[in-house]
Amino acid sequence: MGKKMNFRIMKLIICFFMLPVLSGCLGARQINDLEIVIGMGVDKEEESGNVLLTAQVVKVDMSGGGAANARGGGGEDSEGYWNVSSKGKSIFEAVRQITHKTGNRLFISHNQAVIFGNDVATEGLQAYIDFFLRAHEMRPTALILVSEKKASEVLDAKPETEKYPAMNIAKLVKTYGFTSHFYEVNMEDFASCMMSDTMAPLAPLVSIVQENDCKEIYISGMAAFKNGKMVGTLNHDEARGVLWVLGKVKSGVIIVPSPNKQGEAILEIIKAKSKVKPGIKDGKIVMHIEIKNEVSLSEQTTTEKLATIEALEKIQEATSEVIRQEVMAAFEKSKDLKADIFGFGEMLHKKYSKEWKSIKDNWDEIYPTIELNIDIESKIIKTDLLKKPVSQNKEEK
Amino acid sequence: MKIIRYFSLRNKYMNQAEPDEKDSEPISPDLEKNLEVIKGILHESSDVTIHEFNFGPERKYKGALIFINSITDKEEIHKNILQPLMYDVLLLSNNMDMDFTDIDTIRMNLISMTDNLKVTMLNDLLDSLLAGAAILLINGSREALAIKSIKIKSRSIEEPGTEAVVRGPREGFVENINENIALIRRKIKDTDLCVEKFVIGEKSKTDVCIVYLKSVANPKVVEEIRTRLKRIKTESILESGYIEQFIDDNPYSVFPTVSNSEKPDKVTAKILEGRVAVLVDGTPFVLVVPMVFIESFQSVEDYYARPFFASVIRLIRFMSFIISTLGPAIYVALTVFHQELIPTRLLISIAEGRERVPFPAIMEAFLMLFAFDLLREAGVRLPKPVGQTVGIVGAIVLGEASVQAGLISPIMVIVVSATAIASFAVPAQTDSGTLLRYLYLTLAGIAGGFGIILGLLATLMHLASLRSFGTPYLWPVVPLDLTGLKDVFIRMPIWTISKRPSAITRHDSDPYKQSPDLMPSPYKNDSDDSR
Repeated sequence: MGKKMNFRIMKLIICFFMLPVLSGCLGARQINDLEIVIGMGVDKEEESGNVLLTAQVVKVDMSGGGAANARGGGGEDSEGYWNVSSKGKSIFEAVRQITHKTGNRLFISHNQAVIFGNDVATEGLQAYIDFFLRAHEMRPTALILVSEKKASEVLDAKPETEKYPAMNIAKLVKTYGFTSHFYEVNMEDFASCMMSDTMAPLAPLVSIVQENDCKEIYISGMAAFKNGKMVGTLNHDEARGVLWVLGKVKSGVIIVPSPNKQGEAILEIIKAKSKVKPGIKDGKIVMHIEIKNEVSLSEQTTTEKLATIEALEKIQEATSEVIRQEVMAAFEKSKDLKADIFGFGEMLHKKYSKEWKSIKDNWDEIYPTIELNIDIESKIIKTDLLKKPVSQNKEEK
Repeated sequence: MKIIRYFSLRNKYMNQAEPDEKDSEPISPDLEKNLEVIKGILHESSDVTIHEFNFGPERKYKGALIFINSITDKEEIHKNILQPLMYDVLLLSNNMDMDFTDIDTIRMNLISMTDNLKVTMLNDLLDSLLAGAAILLINGSREALAIKSIKIKSRSIEEPGTEAVVRGPREGFVENINENIALIRRKIKDTDLCVEKFVIGEKSKTDVCIVYLKSVANPKVVEEIRTRLKRIKTESILESGYIEQFIDDNPYSVFPTVSNSEKPDKVTAKILEGRVAVLVDGTPFVLVVPMVFIESFQSVEDYYARPFFASVIRLIRFMSFIISTLGPAIYVALTVFHQELIPTRLLISIAEGRERVPFPAIMEAFLMLFAFDLLREAGVRLPKPVGQTVGIVGAIVLGEASVQAGLISPIMVIVVSATAIASFAVPAQTDSGTLLRYLYLTLAGIAGGFGIILGLLATLMHLASLRSFGTPYLWPVVPLDLTGLKDVFIRMPIWTISKRPSAITRHDSDPYKQSPDLMPSPYKNDSDDSR
C-alpha cells in the first residue's frame, strides 16, 4: 500500500511541476508590455480615402510617479500621452499597423472615448463602428463622440487640469448633468439605436476653439444620425428638448422673465420626469408628453420679491413655457432632418404593433405630421437661502 | 528501500506490543543483591543516591533509600522518611512489637508522606525512581515503597507570548503538567472534571493527561482519544506537537484539526463546551480536540469585549485571512491576466511603478514573499535585540532599496506588506495560510483568475471533507447549524448563546448551559408612576 501511495504522490508532484511549463501561461501579459489606449480618433484621409486612426496611448515612463521621481523627474514639458496614428484600409488594419510604431499591441480595454471625425460621420459610421463593437477587448461602455473637425485635433488639445485629453473628454461628457445640454452616449446605446429601423442616434459633438495659441475643446451640442450618417446637429437648447422628452434631464439652468418683466428669475432644475404615451386619433398620430419637474430659485436679477404665491405661480408657468419651447424646437429640428431622434417610432411599434406595419414603410413622410400634446407641470420647491432680494425694500419705497 | 525499512520497523514495533512483561523480574528479599542489580541498571549514574541505613529497635533492621538527587526534594526525604525511620520509630517500638520487614507496617506507621506506592517488580521500581520517587528497600522484604518526592523547578506563571490579550487573565500555562492541571481546576470547581493520566514514550515516559467534563464531553470522542493515545508507541514525547501529529485525523492536510493554546481561560472555555484537553508535561501548549475551522477566527477577547466591537473585529479577522491567502494571487491575476478589471487611473499608476521592473509579476511576488518569510523566520529565531535589527535592515533594504533599484514595484511592496500584516491576525491558521498563499500565487501566475477559482474550489472541497474527531471541520456553516451560527461571523451577546455547540457536546446531555432569558434590562417598578 505504501509503495502505491508513494507512486501516486510522485505522479501528482510531476504533474504539478509540468503544469506551468505545458500551459505556456495562457494569456499572460505583463503590464510593461501594454500600450494602454485611453482614447481613439477616427478620421479619413482626403486623397486616398484610407482610414486615419489616432490612438492616445499612456506614456508610462514620462508620466511621473515614484520611479520617475527617483530618476530625477521626467521632463517638465513632456506630455503624459502619445498620440500615435496610422493609416489603413480598415480600422483593424490601422490598429495593427500601429505596432510598427509602438512595438506593442494596443490594449484597448481602457479606451474611454472613440471620437469620429466630421468627414467620417457624414459618410456613415457603419463601416467604422463594426470593429469597436466586435473587438472583445473593447468596452461597450466606451463613449462615442463626433468631432466638428478632425478627431485627431480633439485628441491633441491639451487640457489644463487633466493630464490626458481623452480622459478629459470623457469627463466633460459624463458630467452633462449640470446643464443637460447633451448626454453621454456609449457604444452600446449608439449601436442599439442604429439597429432600430426608425430611431436616429445622437452623439455629443465636440468643438475646438483656438484661444491664445491654446486649443480648448467643449461640447457644443449633439450630432444627429440617420441611417448611420450624420445629418445635422442640435444646439444646446434643442438637445435639452430631446432630453426633456426622454426623461434624461438631470439638472440645468432655466432662465425665465420675472413677472414684472424687469429682470429675470434663474431657476435650477432639481428633478425631472417624463412620460410619453403614443396615441392614434382619426388616423393621426399624437404623442402625449407629460413632463413633471421641480426647480429651485437659484438667482434673480429683478428686485421684485418673488417668494409670493402669485409670483411663484407666474414663474412656474413661464418655466413650463420655456420647456415647451425647447421641446418644440427640438421637434422642429427633427422634422427638418427627418430624423426620429426621440424614438417615437419605437414607442408606436410597441403600442400599435398592428398599425405599425403600415406606418413603418413611409415613416419618413408620417413623422413630420405627428402632433405633440405636451403637458408640463413645473413646481418651485425652494428659493434657497434668501426669501427676498437684499435690495428690495429700497426700491419699493 | 525506505519502504522496506518502514515495514520491518513496523513489524518490530507491532510484535512487542507488551514489552514490559518480558524483562521484568521481582524484587528479591536480599537487599545487597537488589542494590547491586539497580546500580548495574542505572550505570552508576552520579546523580543517583543510594543510602543504606540501619533502623528500628536496636538498629537490627537494614534498609536502603534510593533516589535521584537532581529531581527529588532532599529535605523532604530527610524529614519525612529518614527521620521517622531512624528516630521516631524508637518511640513506637518501645511499647509495641512490630515487624519492620513488612512494607505495609512502615507505610502505615512511619512514613509521613502521601503519594506512596508499593512495588514488587524491579521495573515498576525503576519507573517510579526515574519519575522522581524515593525508593525504600528493606532487607528481607519482597516489596519496596516508592514515595513520590519529586521537586522540579517550574517557571513562574507568566503572560503567554503567543496569545497576549488586552483584556482578560494574563496567566499562561507552564511546562509543569501539575501546575497546568491546577490552573484548569481553579477555573472549574466541579466534580465532573475528569483528569486521566497516560504515560507515553519508552524513554521519555512523558505524562500526558486528558481533561474533560464527564457530563458534557462526547464519550465517543473521549474513548477515541484514549485509543489514539494508547496507540502511540514511540521513544519520546518532547512537546504536544508530537501528540498532535500522532492523533491527527488528517495527517496530509495543511489545516490543523487539533487546536492548541497557552491560555488556561481559553482551554477551560473549550472544556466547558465539551471538548477534551490533552495536557503534555514539559510544554505550555495544551491541545484541544475536536477543533473546527471557525475556532481559528475566535479569540478569547471576543467574549470579554462588548458584542458589537467583537463582531466587527471578527469580520476583520475573516477578511484578513482572505487578504493573507489571496492578496498576492489576486494582484498577480489582475495585473497579468485581467488588466481590464483595474480602474484606468490605477492601472496607469501600477504601470508607472512597474516601468523599470525586469521580472514578470509572478517572479516579483515570489521574490518579495520569500524575502518576507525569510525575514520573519530570522526575526523569530534570533535573540530579541538582534531580531529587531534584522527587521529594520529588512524593511529598509526590501521596502526602500529594492524599489529604488527598480527590482520591485512599489505596489508589490504594498501588497506583500498588507499580506504580511494580515497573516498575523489569524494566528491559528498562519501556517496553512502561508502554504495556501504560495499555492494560490502559483495558480494565479499560471491561469489568472481561473487558477485562483480552481484553487479555492479545491481548498473548499478539502475543508468540507475534513473531520476532527468526528466533528465536521466547517461546522456550523457546513452542515448548517443556526444556533451555532450565533458565534461565527458575528459574536452575539453572551446572554443569547444559551446552548452548547451541538456538534461537540454529548448528545444526551442538557443542551442548555444557561437559562435562555438572561437578557438584562433596567429595573422596572410598576407602582412607581411618578416618572
